[in-house]
Amino acid sequence: MSGAMQHGDTILALTNYVFPNDVYVHWSLMIVLYPYITGIVAGAFIVSSLYHVFGIRELQPISRFSLVFALAFLCCATWPLLLHLGHPERALNMFLTPNPTSAMAGFGYIYSAYLILLVHEILFIYRPTMVGLWMNSTGIPRKLYAFLSFYNDNLSDEAMKLDHKIINFLAGLGIPMACILHGYVGFIFGGIKANPLWATPLMPVIFLLSACVSGISGIIFSYILIRKVTGKPIDVTCIRTSLKFLWGFFILDFVFEMLEVFSHFYMSTHHWHVLESLLWGPLYTTYWLLQVKIFSLIPFFLLGAVCLIKFKDRVVLFVAPIVSLMILIQVLLMRWNVVIGGQLMSNSTRGQVSFVPEWLGREGILAAVVVMAAPVVILFLLGKIFPFWMSEEPKDS
Amino acid sequence: MHNQSRSKYNSHLIKLIVALIVAGGLGYFARQVFMPASMGTYGHYRGDDIVDQLNVPIRLQTNESCFQCHRPIRQIHKEGIHNSVSCEICHGPFGDHIQDGKKVGVLPVKKGKEITQLCLRCHNKVIQARPRKSIKMIGLPEHLEQKGVRVDHTCDQCHMVHDPLLWINQAKRMMGIKEAI
Amino acid sequence: MIDIKKEIERDRRAFIKKVLGGSIAGSLLLVLPAGAVDIAEQIPGMREEKAVFTAKRFAFVVDITACIGCGSCCVADKAEYNVPDGHYRTWVERYIIDDHDNVFVDCPDGGLHGYIRAREGLPHPTRDTFFVPKLCNMCEKPSCVQVCPVGATYQTKDGFVLVDKTRCVGCSYCIQACPYSVRFISPATHTAEKCTWCYHRVRKGLLPACVEVCPVHARKFGDLNDKNSEVYKILHEPHVISVLKPDMGNKPALHYVGLRREVV
Repeated sequence: MSGAMQHGDTILALTNYVFPNDVYVHWSLMIVLYPYITGIVAGAFIVSSLYHVFGIRELQPISRFSLVFALAFLCCATWPLLLHLGHPERALNMFLTPNPTSAMAGFGYIYSAYLILLVHEILFIYRPTMVGLWMNSTGIPRKLYAFLSFYNDNLSDEAMKLDHKIINFLAGLGIPMACILHGYVGFIFGGIKANPLWATPLMPVIFLLSACVSGISGIIFSYILIRKVTGKPIDVTCIRTSLKFLWGFFILDFVFEMLEVFSHFYMSTHHWHVLESLLWGPLYTTYWLLQVKIFSLIPFFLLGAVCLIKFKDRVVLFVAPIVSLMILIQVLLMRWNVVIGGQLMSNSTRGQVSFVPEWLGREGILAAVVVMAAPVVILFLLGKIFPFWMSEEPKDS
Repeated sequence: MHNQSRSKYNSHLIKLIVALIVAGGLGYFARQVFMPASMGTYGHYRGDDIVDQLNVPIRLQTNESCFQCHRPIRQIHKEGIHNSVSCEICHGPFGDHIQDGKKVGVLPVKKGKEITQLCLRCHNKVIQARPRKSIKMIGLPEHLEQKGVRVDHTCDQCHMVHDPLLWINQAKRMMGIKEAI
Repeated sequence: MIDIKKEIERDRRAFIKKVLGGSIAGSLLLVLPAGAVDIAEQIPGMREEKAVFTAKRFAFVVDITACIGCGSCCVADKAEYNVPDGHYRTWVERYIIDDHDNVFVDCPDGGLHGYIRAREGLPHPTRDTFFVPKLCNMCEKPSCVQVCPVGATYQTKDGFVLVDKTRCVGCSYCIQACPYSVRFISPATHTAEKCTWCYHRVRKGLLPACVEVCPVHARKFGDLNDKNSEVYKILHEPHVISVLKPDMGNKPALHYVGLRREVV
């Protein structure tokens, strides 16, 4: 509160009262992670689609990896929600009685449809690989690989042509689905008219663009990390292309984020006075300092330099993981500032509350760390089944 | 690829489509089983909840409910200036006292300073936001000083709580003072 | 105060004593549910309403010019529903506007313990000060019902917005959506809870608990289809009447008499 009071008399008068039921931040860490995780999923899927649908050949080395990466995160996308719900055992009510007018009710169906699509796209893309592994293994793995190749070892031209058609169809369908999945998550917030920080048609757009940004940087970061750790060569052309896409999406993302604040500022409705006292109040550090100044501007210029100037491979490989990690943090901060920030101002328009996450408990920091670590573990396990890289496939034809 | 494959080129797709249809059917069946019976009777909600809402117990009743038994107070309370004050705000909810026509508990009776506190909820002069037209305001030490009583007097020593002016008006009548308070 | 039949009381106490003593076996009183019916009807015509939904159009009117901020309504509300500490179905705010047009609002414990202290440390002399009771607005277009993902919160055909606590998943979306912050997650049930305008009382012909106990009659409840009801008369007379946050478009059925522009 004290931060907001520096802004003179008007704000002082507006900064003194919080509705008694508004002192609680109901959507805490878990709801910060939920759009973060679905965003990474949507973004990673877009990376693979850039190759599969838009024919960006340079991205071929990471096209399979990004799908498995997306799946690993998608598996955990519901965890934060279940941890957050007051009655997780009733979570299936979302499927049972989805309210057609609720922005949230669609999540169950959209999520499941997307999960089904993603799993099948992976299975069809990996089918030749799975069949190869099926033929060359014994025991339980043999049964597993047989199952994953739909018990069909037919890899004739006719079959591959059919698979290719299905892959194209799924990848094509996957793009709008990924956009819906995450644009929709943005709409969950953007459709809340009671909250001046959330209620803007730009919200789904910002969420979607930041999703692409977080997905691409997640892929770049983990690709370089995994290749380095396993001592395999890194495809620098692929990294350079990914960085270009990252920069492009990040320009759009950052511009829209700033545009939202700027248009609120320029229109200066009574909403702005509420937002002003929030952005320069309890949200000043996480929004202006961390999200905008450190984790947006620095990667923005770094990316621009890497994309415009022809640096040596060594430099690119040094900058890429740093930039992508910074952008991953930027997106997490953005989720925090939207989700938590929106709840720090009371509907009284006269005051803010502060929020410090608890360590233990269902929605504490520890649980958040577990939820964020789970996709990494799942990715590791999936890597045991689905080889990430093309070169590791058994050459059997 | 080897030509020994005995599967048809599209058998995996057919299996998959069958599996998806079966899964969809199972999902639909499960939905029918677990859907609450009265869902959608009147709108997109469980219609039986209306009955559940009606069955929320009534814990607070009216002053008349109290007066059904507490008759002497009824007369005093109803004729006094406090007749719009609810019994249950000072004494506690009816539901803690009587349930299904049976006495289930004793409501606490406020005494001494607690009574002063209760009176000040409404009559405290320092709270300026109160409309003066409807309620008499008292500044506490001043009022006691002005009336010439000890400062540690509690309100109920002069004012009968159920009709604050009862004793005072009686005294005035006895003393032959005409002006009303 | 409400006008109540006077005849029925004769020898009531003696009668109940006999009942309690068991001298009247199988007494009617023991069969009647929670003694609700032996209170005279407070909302005319309610006891004739046998259908699932009443044919009434209810409105709640709060008279800011009358409220003395005693917090009786808050006490009654907490007693009626055992509202968990720190959460409020209804509360009473104190507004202080100084002569520099600064607005100061406070609401210690939701007004549950009344206002015992004057607000201190204000920079300028007070121009105007008043109390504003808050409760569910029973919107005609409720945002909470719109956003509830599972249909746990709903609007009845006679206008009540209620929460089915056997369906609520506790996602808090309705709390985010409510422009008036009247909802909370009950720590006891982990489901959303809010003021219901005492649906269970109203359907039995009783007034909402807070209306019943208000000593200065600042809270009024009634049927707008009944031209003789007090709320009808108030809303059809030239008072300063407004609703909270009209630009939200929720069309509240909670109206305020004497609402100032500073109130949100």
